[in-house]
Order: sequence, then C-alpha cells, then structure tokens
Amino acid sequence: MSVELKFSRSNRIYRPSEALEGKIVVKTHSSISHYGIRLTVKGSVNLQVRGGSAGVVESFYGAIKPIPIVNRTIEVKPSGKIGSGTSEIPFSLNLRQRDENLERFYETFHGTDISIQYLATVDISRGYLHKSLSATTEFIVESDKADLLQRPLSPEMVIFYITQDTQRHPLLPEIKSGGFRVTGKISTQCSLSGPINGELTVEASAVPIQTIDLQLFRVESILLGDKIVTETSLVQTTQASDAGFIADGDVCRNLTLPIYVILPRLLTCPTTLAGPFSIEFKVAIVISFQSELSKLHKKSDPKTPRLWLAMETLPLELVRTK
Amino acid sequence: MEFRPRNYSAENEAHALPRVRAAAHPLSAPPPPLAQVEVVDRGNTNFFDPLRGTDNDSNATSLDHDNMNESVDHQPTKEWTSFRRLLMQRFPVSKMVSVSSMPDVLMRGGKLHDKSSTNMHLEELDDPQKFADEGVKTITWQEYVSRLHELKDEITRSWLAEDRVTSLKLSIKVAKLLMDTSVFEFYPTLFVLVTDIMDMLGNLVWQRIKRKAEFSEDGALCCNLAGIRFKGPVNHSKFFYLELAILPCWRFLLDQPLDSLQRLVMMTRGLGDPVASAYCRLYMAHCAQKLPSHDIGYLVTCVNDLRVILMQILSAKERTDKNVTLDRKLQVSLMEPTIEYIMKCIFNGLSQRQVNEVLSELGLMKNQQDLGSVSCVSIVLHHLLKELPIEVVSSNIVQILRLIEFSKDNSFDQHMNYRLLGFRLYERKSSVDIVNAVIEKVIQVIALYDSLDEYLKVVDAYTDLILQNQKDNHLNTILEGISKRARNKGVTEDEMLSLQSLVVKLLSHFKHLEDVFSLVQFPEIIDVMYGKSQDVVFLHILNMATRNGHISDPTSIQMLFEISQTLHDNIEFMNVKDDDGQVAHSISRFVHMVDYGAEMECHLAFLVDCRGAFGRLNELKETLVHSSNSLAIQALKCAKKHLSFVKSCITFSEVTIPSISAHRQFDLFLETAEVALLGGLVSHLDGLIDSAISCLHILDIIDGYRTPTDVEGLVSSIRKLCGFLIMVPGNFSLPVTYFPNNLFTVVSSQSWFEPKMRTQIFSAIILLLTTLSQKRLPYHANPQIPGNNILYYGDSSYNQELVSLSKPVLENLLSAIQQEPSQAARGIIALEACNCIASSFMLNNELSSVCLTLVETAKSCMSAQDKYLQSTIQLLSKQSPTSVGTMVSISV
Repeated sequence: MSVELKFSRSNRIYRPSEALEGKIVVKTHSSISHYGIRLTVKGSVNLQVRGGSAGVVESFYGAIKPIPIVNRTIEVKPSGKIGSGTSEIPFSLNLRQRDENLERFYETFHGTDISIQYLATVDISRGYLHKSLSATTEFIVESDKADLLQRPLSPEMVIFYITQDTQRHPLLPEIKSGGFRVTGKISTQCSLSGPINGELTVEASAVPIQTIDLQLFRVESILLGDKIVTETSLVQTTQASDAGFIADGDVCRNLTLPIYVILPRLLTCPTTLAGPFSIEFKVAIVISFQSELSKLHKKSDPKTPRLWLAMETLPLELVRTK
Repeated sequence: MEFRPRNYSAENEAHALPRVRAAAHPLSAPPPPLAQVEVVDRGNTNFFDPLRGTDNDSNATSLDHDNMNESVDHQPTKEWTSFRRLLMQRFPVSKMVSVSSMPDVLMRGGKLHDKSSTNMHLEELDDPQKFADEGVKTITWQEYVSRLHELKDEITRSWLAEDRVTSLKLSIKVAKLLMDTSVFEFYPTLFVLVTDIMDMLGNLVWQRIKRKAEFSEDGALCCNLAGIRFKGPVNHSKFFYLELAILPCWRFLLDQPLDSLQRLVMMTRGLGDPVASAYCRLYMAHCAQKLPSHDIGYLVTCVNDLRVILMQILSAKERTDKNVTLDRKLQVSLMEPTIEYIMKCIFNGLSQRQVNEVLSELGLMKNQQDLGSVSCVSIVLHHLLKELPIEVVSSNIVQILRLIEFSKDNSFDQHMNYRLLGFRLYERKSSVDIVNAVIEKVIQVIALYDSLDEYLKVVDAYTDLILQNQKDNHLNTILEGISKRARNKGVTEDEMLSLQSLVVKLLSHFKHLEDVFSLVQFPEIIDVMYGKSQDVVFLHILNMATRNGHISDPTSIQMLFEISQTLHDNIEFMNVKDDDGQVAHSISRFVHMVDYGAEMECHLAFLVDCRGAFGRLNELKETLVHSSNSLAIQALKCAKKHLSFVKSCITFSEVTIPSISAHRQFDLFLETAEVALLGGLVSHLDGLIDSAISCLHILDIIDGYRTPTDVEGLVSSIRKLCGFLIMVPGNFSLPVTYFPNNLFTVVSSQSWFEPKMRTQIFSAIILLLTTLSQKRLPYHANPQIPGNNILYYGDSSYNQELVSLSKPVLENLLSAIQQEPSQAARGIIALEACNCIASSFMLNNELSSVCLTLVETAKSCMSAQDKYLQSTIQLLSKQSPTSVGTMVSISV
C-alpha cells in the first residue's frame, strides 16, 4: 500500500495565483475504505540562528518560531472506498484565496539560517483501527507575474578594479611588490533566470594567475529581539569552483574575459527585505595567484582572506523577471 | 604430291573486298547522347517536426527536415576526418607520455564502477587526491589510447543502458584530460581521441532529444529539455567541451543558438593555457560546422584572440611560468593547426564583400595612410594568406606586402610568407603591373638574405611568375644570386630540392635547350648540383632535348652524351634504382633522335661510342641496332653507293645483337637480314638468317618468355621469316631447302612449341614451299638479286626437294593438330591447316581424305553453322569438284 503525490508540472513550479494541480496515486493490493482524502498545503519561513553574529545565548535557543505563509486543507474526496490496483485521484487547489489577500508568498529558498518551504501533504484517514496513509512533497513557489518588477532590469554596471593596494589583508611579498591590476564591470541587478553578466580584464600581474573565480554569497539577516543577526555564506559551497569560473590558468593580459554565471535554482531567490528577516546577495571576484602555499590549503573557507588571494566584494540584487 | 600452281595477282584481285567511301570518319566525335532525364530523389518528406507546431507552411517543414537530417547525420565530415589524421601525423607520439598527475579516469578499475548513486555531485570530479601526488608519472601512449577507447565504449554502454549520469560523468572526466597540456606532442592526438568521444556523446544526446521530440507529447519534451539544461551553461573549462558537443541541441531551447556560440568564444579566453585554449577554439569551430547555419563572426573573434595570445607568447621573454614549461617554439607549432583549421572555416565560400569585412574585422585593412602601423603575427598571416581568395590577394597586394614586411617574429619564418605569396599570385593570371611590383619588391628583400636555403625557397615560388612575364633581367638576377650563394657555401641536401624544383621550372618553360643554356649562370648552377636532384634535372634536359625532333648539333650531342653517361653511371655506382626504366628510355630516345645528316660515319662512330658507354641498358642496344640498320638504309638510298659503309653498319648490328636478351634477338636478326638483302649482301644474309633460326634454340632456356603476347609475337615473326625466305636466293653450296628445313627441325625438336604454334609455323612452311615452287614469285626485294624461280628455272630436282620436305612437315602438322588440348582451338587450327593444304596442293585422293578428316575434326569441335567451317567446305568442294567435294557435301 502506498500513496504518492504527482504534480501536473514536472518542475513543480507554481505561482501563488495559480492552482496547484496534480493527482494522488494510490497503489494497493486490496481495496480499502477510508474516511476521506485530504490535501494540506503548508508554507512557512523557518528561521534559525547558528553562530554568526549571534551570541552564545541566542544560539542556545536556536530555532525561532516560524512565520506561517499559508496553511490550507481541502477534502479531495469524501469517505469511500478505493479499489485494488493503482488509483489516481486528481486534485486542484488555489494557493491564494480571493478574499484573504494578506499572505505574502515569498519564493522558495533554502539557505543556512532561513528556509522558505512549501509542502503539500495528502492524508487518507482510515479510522482508528488502521494507520492513515500520507505522503508529503515539496513544491516550488515563484512570484506571480503580476507582482513582478514592471520596470526593465537596470542595465547599470558597477566598475571595479582590484590591485595590491585595494586589499585589506596581507599578501605574499612577491604579489605585493610585483603588483597586479584587474579591472572590470559587473551588473548590480540580475534576473534569476539569466546569468550574472559582466566582464573583466587582467591588465597586469607579475605573479602568474592560477584562477579567477566569481563567488556568490547570500546574506541572511534575522531580527532577533532588538538585534539583527546576520550570516554570510557561500551559495553552493560545494560547486564553487565550477559555478563561478571565469579564468583558469594564467590568462592573456588585456584580453576582456566575459563574466557569465548561471544562478543555481532553489539556492537563490529574489532579494527579499521583509520585516523579521531579509535575504540579500553579494558577489566576490576572487583572484588566486600561483603559489606553493595555495596547494597546501586546498579546501579552505573561501571567506578567509589568504596570502595568495585578492578579492573584491560587490552587492548584487536578484530579481524575478518575466 | 603435287604443288598447286597459283596466280597470286589474280587471286589477290578476286579476294579483294570492294571499297566503299565511308560517310563519317571512324574516329570523329560521336553524336551527343540523348539528354538524360534527371531523377531527383526528394527523400522521405512525410516527417513531422513537433517543435514547429501546426502553423508552419509546408515549405518550412521540409527545409527544417533537411537541416535536421543534416545534423543527425553524425558522420564526421570528410574534412574533419582528414584534418584529424593530418594532425596526428604531424605530431608523432613518442613512446612514453609523462603525465604530471595521473588522472584517475585513466586508472583501470578503481571507482569508476561503483558510482551508481545518481545524486553524487559533479564536484567529485575535482578529486582532491589529484593534487597530492606531485611526481611525474609515465605511461605508454598505447596504454593511454586503449584506455580512452575503453572509456568510449563504457560511455556508450552506460548511455544506452539508461545510466546517463554515469555516462556524462565519465565524459566530463575525459574532457578534463584536455586540461593538461604538459603532454606536449601527445596533445593533438589526445585532442583527437577526446573530441571523438565528445562528438559521440553529442550525437547520443541529439538522438535522444530528437526521439523524445518525435514521439512524446509536450510535457515529456519540456522535462527532457530541462534535463539537458543542467549540462548546458556550466561555466568551467572542462564543461566547454561538453557544451560544444551538444551545441546542435541548442536549437531545441533557443531561437538563436549563435548567441551561445559568441558567449562561448568569449569564455574561451578564460583558459589561461594557450595551447588548451587554441584547441578549445578548434573544437568550437568544428562543432559549429554542424549547426544548420552559422555566422563566422565568432571565428574571427577566435583568430583575433589567438593573435593576441601569440603576440604575448612571443613578446614575453622574461616571463617564465612554472606550469607552462613548454618550449615556446613547440607551443606555437602545436597551435598552428588550430589556426589553419579556423582560417579554413572562415574563408569557406565567402563573397568578396564578406572577405573584406573579415579582413577589416581582423584589423588588417586600415586606411592607406597608416599602413605602416599594421602588423600581424606571421603565423596567422601565413594561414590567412593561404586561404584568402586570389582576387583579394591581387587587389590588395601592396597592403599584403607591407604586412609581410612588418610581420617578422619567431612564430613563422618571414621568407616562407614571401614564398607563399609567390605561389598564390601564380594561381591566377594577375595584371603585369602587380606582378612586376611584387617581384621587384621581393627581389630587393631577398637580396639581403645570406642563406641560400631561404633565398632558394623564395625564388622558387617566383620563378614561374618571372618566366610567365618574361622578365629576363630578373631571371638573370636571381640566377646570379643563387650561384653567388652556392659558390660561397656549397649546397646542402635540402637546398638541392629547392634548386631542383627551380631548374625544372626553368627547363619546362623554355622550348629549346639552347635558350636555357644561353642564360649566363645556368651551366654553373647545373654544375653545383649532385645526387638525386642532378639525375632529375638531367633527365629533364634529356627529355627536353629529344622533344623537338632530331638533334644534329655536335656540341649538343656531346653534352647530352655526357649527361646520359652520368645518368647511366649513377645507376651503376650510386645504386640509384631506375625502376620504371625512365632513364633507359630517355637515353634510348636521345640516341634515336641523334641525326648527323650526311656525316654517316660520324653517326656510326657515335653508335659505337654509345655501345661502349651504356653497356647496362638493354633497351638502348636495341635502339642502336635499329639506328645502325636505318643508317644502312639511308646509305643505300644515297646516290653513290657506300657499300662498305652499309657492310660496316650490318656488321655493327650483327655484333651488337648477341648481347641483347634472347627474346628480342630473333626480330633484330630478321630486321638486319632484311637490310642485308636490300643491300645485296648475300653472304651476310645467310649468316643472319642462320643466327635467327639458331637463336630459337636459346629461347628454350628462357622460361619467362611465355606470355601469350610474346608467343604470338614470336609466331608472327617466324611467319614473317617464312615470307622473307621467298625472296632469299638459294646458295649453291647449301641444299635448296636448307633454311626451311632448319626451321622445321628446330620447331619440331623444341618441346616448348605448343601445338597451336606448331600448326601455324608448319602451315607457314608449307605455304613457303608451295610459293617457292611457283614459276612466278609474288614479290621481289632487290632486282639485282635473282629469285629462286630464275636461279633454279627448269631444275626438276629443285621441285623434288621442295616436295620431299613438305611431306614430313605435313605429317607433323597433322599430328600437332591432334595434340591441341583445347577443343575450340583444335577446331580452328584444323580448319587453318585444311585451308593451307587445299590451297597448296593438288588434291589427290590421299590428300582429300586428309582434308576430310580435318573437316570432321573441326565439325566435332565447333558448330556446323560456323562461318569459317562453311567457307572451308566451300573451298574444298571448289578445289576438288569431283570425289572430295561430293564426300564433303554428303557428310554435311
């Protein structure tokens, strides 16, 4: 006996104004009777404080009460019987009720401290004698088209330049003395469905370059009492070297390299500034110079400034576009 | 037995075919064939493209269908295949490949097989272990290659087994191998192998998407597209190759796949290693060819980027990379094929306007004013020059010369660009002004060259142009330049080849040898040549000299004789193979073409010299015999008879023939005998015929002489001898039938004469004897020598002897027919013999029955309707209207 939820869309992306549709698939060897099949949709913002700028006491309390977004149950089928074999029961549920327009549907997001999640649960209750059957599946919520930014994406680019003098951390002596200069520009606003655009030019570097990476950070802030706890973490730490690749090896000087980074799904969402919490992003251009030292610290925290690294961090606003 | 009296002239008239004027010349061109109806196969057009929806017009559908099939047709194009082969040949792989860090994908077994869990992240591919081993490892390249082949199979297998994640994962690992350029010369081979795998993967993906698109509804399609989405824009170099491999699939996702191409070009700049990035661009160019239509803008960007990179490699002298320890020269040579291929792609089928656009995109077409500042990396320039349409070359010649002049760097030798320009200009006839300007400029430039090699390489390319435009002063200048440099330093082997090509061009340009030798420096240049090149040039000179009729100038003859002698001696001493007998043939031709005119003694002396000098050449000796024979005939034709000279010619031939290989001797003896008969030298004549017949004895020993043509040739020569013997007067010291008898004895005693040959020869002897018995012979050669009919007029014993010889010949003839193994052949030779007998003898009863038997034999071997059989029976009944005729007609 098993029950499963299948959504009408294979990518499971729905907008708040749309109906969540799909079917409940029940597989059973013998026919079963039940007291009703119910579908529950639940969405919430889960907040948690771990380390970061939070104090010891706060971290003890850890989880903070989640902020509910939606919680609705409908009866798909009144009590009855399900025949043996595979049965498919279709369902449809409007996410946003017409009368109550209070809820704000944040987009699905999975971060370190903040997680915005939408779950659909099916329950088939079978009275006290039998265990009720249930299944839960996550679906993804994206902003309504109507709510999207109406003005076009700002084409504004921020110009940056990185030299040995812009670095606030100590560098290896040969890097410091030899000098380097990397310039470029990068978009300040970026569509979630598009790439991060920009360009970069290595104008000079005495020490050969190992790699140039673009790292994407999320900045999650939670209002805790009268304090704001902020945590900055690398998005997709594990794939950092792949996702943010700009250059590999000692690239040709004065040749403009494109910056073109596709944003990972689920791990990003539009920049959100809500009352109790906020989700923001920033990018860092990290230049790694060839050095014996770097080989010894292969898997180090990217946030830590190292002697052979030079970096520049810039804010980035993510938006959902049509 | 009695010979049939014959009237040859009457018979000739009776049998002559009526002559009719033909309407058309048999060799004139045939009338044009009927126009063929063109059959066009439209192929299977009932294809429905699901991506097009229903709003398309039929035209668009069929077009798209074509495109689809084109891309589906995943066989690599011919060009790419040959390019890959050349690439691998160009960089032969040494036995061992050192790999600075052994990629785990090359390790056999290992953890390749245990990663069934599909949710492993791609980042695993960055194996941290890899950096732990710093030591350089080596594996043999065979091992490397065989491992790659295994991987290819593995990828296909797992793809087909629906385990596509494994397949992709392996592909990524394979693509990653291309990151390591420290394998030096192995890199191109590695590239070929890896891209082969990538191409295959691209096809698998394409096939799958296409199948999905064809057979499932929209929902599944979307899902699938999402499936490749994750593989698409991933931003790391090792994914480049994957993304490129699936480039054709982009059309399912985007309206403008070209945009992604432009992006990829830009991203390739992020690859720091020049070689790796060059090959990445190469693969991109290759993959883009699969797209139904594409712009070349991205390729131009590629070339520009490569140029910038090359410039930096060449200029950065002090910078030493620890990772990039490749020798700079090797690096450039590794990159060269990529430039070559991309250039080819760019200029493939461009219009003039487009070419100009490309040139200005490449930054090479600036205003006339600031030409001086434009320069290019010479290796890029070289391949550009190679691919530029020739019209563009000639219309922009000034700029191009400037470019070559200012592009002087280590990546490519400047003189090779000048050389290439020369060859390109010669491709099509350019205006005289342009050519003159170029030649003058180039001659100025090369005047400064010190090295003969460089000088020759450039000059070689311009020789054709100079000759074409008849610039004698330039020609003299360059010849002087060559001889000056050759005098100073001598000529090396490599230079010899250029020199050879140049001299051959000169020789083929001029019509007469005298013109070439009148060039001041030419003899001197010929003198510095040696070895194989000298042979080639000498052969050319020889052929040229014999091309235009007879050679009568004694100095020319002397020079050519010396040249021939050198060639001949080179065969002897240098062990140079004269495989196709070219040298022998040319020398023979030279000897044949020599003509001293009235100075016949000199000519004969020349022939004697030749015999002494060219002892090794068999073919030549034959020519010598022919020449001396024709010399004798020529002497005979003269008003004053030089009988002694003719005698010495014939003696020369007589002495020369025995040193020639046996199977040619018979013909030569016969030919000389004919000349002797014409000259009336009866004593020589008898000796020559004797030698001819006796050389049939020697033939037996030579076994190789058995090809059907040879045999037929010999038989016809022997028959010719029989015909010739009719004119040969009898010698009273010898029996009347001395020669026919000798011939008969030889032929019947030599077992290797096949039955068919025997029949033919014996028939010829019988006909000879019959003819000799006639009161009037059919032909004479020399009216001063009386024929046998006059010599033996009224001599009854003469006729007796002829008859007595004809008896054993006839017997042998009949038995030879029975020995013929092949049935069809037996029938024909029986008829031949029958005809011979019937026309030679008066048919008495005995002979009639013989003829009848022969006809029976023929009947048993061939169909009764055979025309030859019919006409033979007719002849028989005509010759003997009495008994035999009736017998024959009854039996028929």
